[in-house]
Formats: sequence, structure tokens, C-alpha cells
Amino acid sequence: MLQSILALLAERHEFFLNLLWQHLEISFVAIAIAIVFGGLAGILISEYQRAAKPTLAVINFLYTIPSISMLGFLIPFSGIGNATAIIALTIYALLPMVRSTHTGISNVEPALLEAAVGMGSTRLQVLRRIKLPLAMPVIMSGIRSMATMTIALAGIASFIGAGGLGIAIYRGITTNNAALTMTGSLLIAVLALVVDVLLGLAERCVGRHPRKAGANSSNPKPCWCRYALPVILALVLLGAGGSYFWRTPKPVTLHLATKPMTEQFILGEMLRVLIIQETGLPVQVTPGVGGGTANIEIGMEKGVFDLYPEYTGTGWNAVLKNKGLYTESLFNQMQAEYKEKLGLEWVGMYGFNNTFGMVVQKDIAQRYNLKTYSDLAKVAPQLTFGAEYDFFERKDGYQALCDAYNLKFKGTVDLDIGLKYQALNEKKIDVMNIFTTDGQLAAADAVVLVDDKNFYPSYKCGTVVRREILQQQPKLAAALHKLDDKITDSAMAEMNYQVETNKKEPKAVAHDFLRQAGLLKGEVQP
Amino acid sequence: MTTAIAYEHVQMAYGQKVIIPDFNLEIAKGEFVTVIGSSGCGKTTILKMVNGLVLPTAGRVLVEGQDIKQLDLINLRRNIGYAIQGSVLFPHMTVEENIAYVPTLLNGADHERTLRAVSKWMQIVGLDEEIRQRYPDELSGGQQQRVGIARALAASPDILLMDEPFGAVDALTRGQLQEELRRIYQQTGITVLFVTHDIHEALKLGTRVLVMDQGQVLQYGTPDEIVHRPAAAFVRQLVGKDDR
Repeated sequence: MLQSILALLAERHEFFLNLLWQHLEISFVAIAIAIVFGGLAGILISEYQRAAKPTLAVINFLYTIPSISMLGFLIPFSGIGNATAIIALTIYALLPMVRSTHTGISNVEPALLEAAVGMGSTRLQVLRRIKLPLAMPVIMSGIRSMATMTIALAGIASFIGAGGLGIAIYRGITTNNAALTMTGSLLIAVLALVVDVLLGLAERCVGRHPRKAGANSSNPKPCWCRYALPVILALVLLGAGGSYFWRTPKPVTLHLATKPMTEQFILGEMLRVLIIQETGLPVQVTPGVGGGTANIEIGMEKGVFDLYPEYTGTGWNAVLKNKGLYTESLFNQMQAEYKEKLGLEWVGMYGFNNTFGMVVQKDIAQRYNLKTYSDLAKVAPQLTFGAEYDFFERKDGYQALCDAYNLKFKGTVDLDIGLKYQALNEKKIDVMNIFTTDGQLAAADAVVLVDDKNFYPSYKCGTVVRREILQQQPKLAAALHKLDDKITDSAMAEMNYQVETNKKEPKAVAHDFLRQAGLLKGEVQP
Repeated sequence: MTTAIAYEHVQMAYGQKVIIPDFNLEIAKGEFVTVIGSSGCGKTTILKMVNGLVLPTAGRVLVEGQDIKQLDLINLRRNIGYAIQGSVLFPHMTVEENIAYVPTLLNGADHERTLRAVSKWMQIVGLDEEIRQRYPDELSGGQQQRVGIARALAASPDILLMDEPFGAVDALTRGQLQEELRRIYQQTGITVLFVTHDIHEALKLGTRVLVMDQGQVLQYGTPDEIVHRPAAAFVRQLVGKDDR
């Protein structure tokens, strides 16, 4: 395992460095904001003790919200991406900061404060010269644990489309690549440790005084120590703030999102390469946005994302929220609704149809002689059904399927798309939904059942683009049409298989395909 | 002789509980007044009324003829030396920074002048220059008290308030500190209000002794008067115990 991690790091160091930098950026912005506002709040509630209890209660409450749901709550307000991640991280970082500041200041000996007041200090002088310096060791240890926690927590930021090392973890899970997941986690741990050590050094400096009694008394602290904390804080603020604002204004960059599944990683890379090659526009890919369609759609409407690969059936039912079965004869009507209601447009269909299917473990299928969905209905009460999270939520998903075939399963299990086949092979579930292009389908010990009542609609895959961008970038549409009808069902399944089972990089598989299809001119742009 | 501190019908109550019913006293400039009484008699409260740490519920406290309610308390406090139980030095500041505390508040910009004042007061209270950069927990108990006195005097106040400053040191050191304090008092001619619960200390240091009980003045007089002409049974008992 260690070897494969090292190999991965050597091979893709640029990718990991980039993620590391993004991770630092997100967590440091959150840490900096929390230090400033948490510190101020801590000082204020120490000066006005009556406000302390309610304030701490509110912050405590926020702290208990699970991070996943916190991100979920925030998406409607701040959308997909770094902003939401930073807001969530800041909220979690506030509590340790406020509490340590408040504790540190409240624990300053009252007699010292009386002496300071009695000698004619103003309130601000007491705070600045007595309370804060004496509280500093407690505040520093608070900052230290808060910083490590924030860096670790930033790992989930990629769930909502923010950058950072979480991308490596999340992508590793979705493409069944354990080394990638491990490397991402390891780098987060290393980053947290390094920051902890650095802050530990700063903490020693702000300790009351590092010298032991009786030591040489001519110079109390090395002078750099006096300035260490302010300097470190200033650097963090400057670095984080500066890079954040400095990096935002960029030339027109296309923001490409993909759903968290192998196929979309491959398609995303194909689109990226083709767009750069045909239009020369820079493309920023946000791979594997957590929650898939629902969250990418919000990003598209807010203009955070400009394009992403989507499936027609999903567009009809989940995005446009139309009732009824989608067939390709409805495409023109759907295109019109997309343009009118969403300001989006379908540009280019790749050819393959990734529709749903259902499989049963082979021995169960043989035991009960199961061939169709209708056969399954009779034995469903003895079987457990597994699917990815959004299958249970979407209108064309689980409930509709059960209603159509009168299925009543013994139980259901929420699974990540990347872990489904593993769960089936380990017999944790008996039945599960699949996609017709699943790479692991070939290797699975399972029987695909026949959709005898034609429950499932058509799910042809194509690119959805914001119309605004199409108008601004006239070359874009032509670039996207390059993929028209180039990928068959079996070609897609084969590419998925290459990534998921043969452990090839999605990028490499995408490049191979483009090369074989004759779409690549010269070298691939990084 | 002018009046340094005057209490006029001062009353102090916490809710229903009256600590000081009606307190009247005039302290002349240049007196060294020691205040003695059993604990809870209000002696510390009387002391803290001078620099406005405690404000009376009724009556007036006058410092140099001015009602302190009319004065800017921050300014008033900077011109009154204040040393409390156990001296309470700031643990995160060196000896120099501790002594320079009030001068820095007063004239933050003139660092040179502050450092000269620190040297002067360290010499007066008998502190060696070499401990200048030490922190309080690197000092002996006696040294800490001296720093405490130097800090209280560093801005050359006209009035010095001391609340059992020598309560926490051993008898030998206390004796030395008392001698130093008396010498400083004689050198500067400052008005001192000194709270203690030790009758020896009160009689030894004070030019006037104030005996208090239940928030009232039992006797205010020279040590000689207190010893030879006690005005109340409590005073007699206080000094009498001493004779046995």
C-alpha cells in the first residue's frame, strides 16, 4: 500500500500539490476568519458577561450540527464551491476560538485586574495590557486545536464541489481506488501535523516567559519571539486573504462539473481536452460534485458551473420535474423547456444510453428462477435492495420503481455508487440498481433482470451548457458537437471497466479514446 | 495643615446590609495613617473609596478638597499609589515593566523618562539593578513586595494606599520592609493610608492610628494616645492583649 501511495505521489505530484494548495487556502481563510471574529466575540462576551451564556449556547448548537447537513443547509444560500466550504468551516472553528478566548480572559486572577484598575488603567488598557497577554496561552492552545480540526474537516469540502485534498479522497472512493483515498487522507494528516507543530512553536513563544528561574537575566526572550505571533498571524491573513482575492479575477474560464461517478470523470476529461483544443479557453474541472445532479444544477443556475454531462431522462424528470416516462421523442420539448425555464441548452449527444437496470445475485436468481422485474416482486419481501443515495430521493427512482412493479423489499441500504458492486459481491445486499454502462457489471456475479413493463426511461448522455456562455463563446458549440454519436454503450462500459477494475487513470482512458477516435490533434494540453 | 482625604457622612450598604452607617474623618496632608480593626469592619472599603474602586451609597469622599464623584476616576487613580495584599505583580511583565506600569499609562511616549523613574524607585526601595529584567516568579517574597511598593510610587503620587501589603511575608522580611517604608515616607512626605490587622505594625508605622469597628471610627489618634488613652473597650482590648 505504501508503495502504491509513493508511486501515486511521484506520478501525480502536480495534481496533489494543487489540491494541497487549495486545501491550505480553504482552511486558512476559515481559520483566519474564525481567529478574528471568534476572538472578537470571545473578548466581547468576556467584557459583557451577561451575553456569554446565550452566545456560547448558540455557538454550541451550531457546533452539534453534523457537517454533512451543515453543508446541505448552506448550499441554497451560498451555492456550490469554496464559499460554502469556508462558511461551514468557519462556523465549526468559531466555537473553540470563542470558548478559549472567553475561558482565557475569565480565568485571569481578579486581584490582578483590581490592581490594574486601581492604578488607573482604562478598560481598554486592562484588556490590552493585562487580560489578553495573560489569556494568550489558553487562546493559543485553542487556536492550535481549532486549526488542526479545520484542516481535517476541510476534507469534506469537496463533497460540495470545493477544492482540496478531499477531492482525492472522494474520487478514490467513487472510482474504487484505495491508494488515491489513502494518499489524500495521509496528506491531510501531514498538513494538520505540520500546522500543529508550527503553532506549537508560536505557542511556546507567547507562554508567559520561556526562561527558567535563575537563568541569565539580561535578555528575557529572544526578540524574534515577541514578534512571532503577530507575524505568523499577519502572514496567515495575508496569504489566505491575498491568494483568495488575487486568484478570483481570471480570464474567462469555463467551469466544468461532473457527477461523482467514473463515467463522468472520463467524459469530463474528454470535454476538457476537446474544449481547450478547439477553443483555446481555459477549463476548470470540478470533478465528482457530491450529490450529483441536484447540487450541480444549483451551481449551473447560479453560474458557478458552465457545463456538465447530463442524461436526458434525468433532465426530464429530476431537473424539469416533469411527470411521466421520458422517451427520446420528447427531446425537442425538453430542449425548449431547458432554454426557456433554465437558460440552459443541450449541446451534443455522445451516443450511449446509460439507463437504469436491476441485478440480483446469481444464486438468488437461480433459486427463485428470476428473469424479470415482475418475477422479483414475488420474492422481494425476503431481499435487501441497495442503491446510491439520490436514487432513493429522485422522482424517477426507488419509489416509482416499487410502485410500478408493486415491489416490497425487506430493507434498503444507501450506498456510494463506487461501493455498490463490492456490497453485492460481499452479499450485503441482494438486489441493486445498476447503470447499463457500469464497468463492474461484466465482472459481477449477478443476473440483469428484464424491465418487462418498460419502467425505465431513456437516459442518453449529452452536454448541458449555460446559454449565456454559448453566446459569449461561439466556438464552444462546435467543440462539443465533436463527440456526437462517438461513444457506444459498450465503449463506455469498457472505459469504465478500464478505470474501475484495471486501475487506469480516468484521464489516460479518456485520452486513449480520443486518440483512437481521431479527435486528438497533437499533444494533450495539461 | 491642609486636608488630603476627607469623608463626609459616608454610608455604604450592599442591598439591605449596611457595612458603614455614617463615617466621618479628615486626614491631614503628610500623615501616615494606619487603619486597624477586625476583619469585615470596613477598613478595606474605606481605603478603596479614596481611589473610587468602591463608591459610597451616600455621603462624599473628598481628595485634596474635591469630591471624587466630580473627578475623572482614571486620572485620579493614576495620581494615587495603590498596593494591595501580596503586592500582586503582573506575572507576564518584568520588574521594569511592572514598575513602569503607571508611568507608561501617563506618558507612554517618553520612554527615557520612565526608565529613569524606574531606576530611581528601584534604588529607593532597595532593589538591585540586575533583577530589572526578571519576572515576578523569579523573585523572593521580599523582593516582590519591594517591587510592589516601587510600582505604587513610580508616578510620584501624593497619596499612597496600601492594603495589608506585607501580609504574605515572613516576620524578618516584614520588619525590614516596614523600616524601608518608613524611610520612604520620611523622604517623600507623602500621605499614606495603610490597612493592617497587626496592631504592632499599626503602632510602629502610623503617625495616626485609626481603629475601626463595624464601620465606625472608634478612635483616631497618635499611637501614643491609642496606647495610653484608649477611647473604647475594643481599643483597650486591642492594645491590652499586647501588654500581656
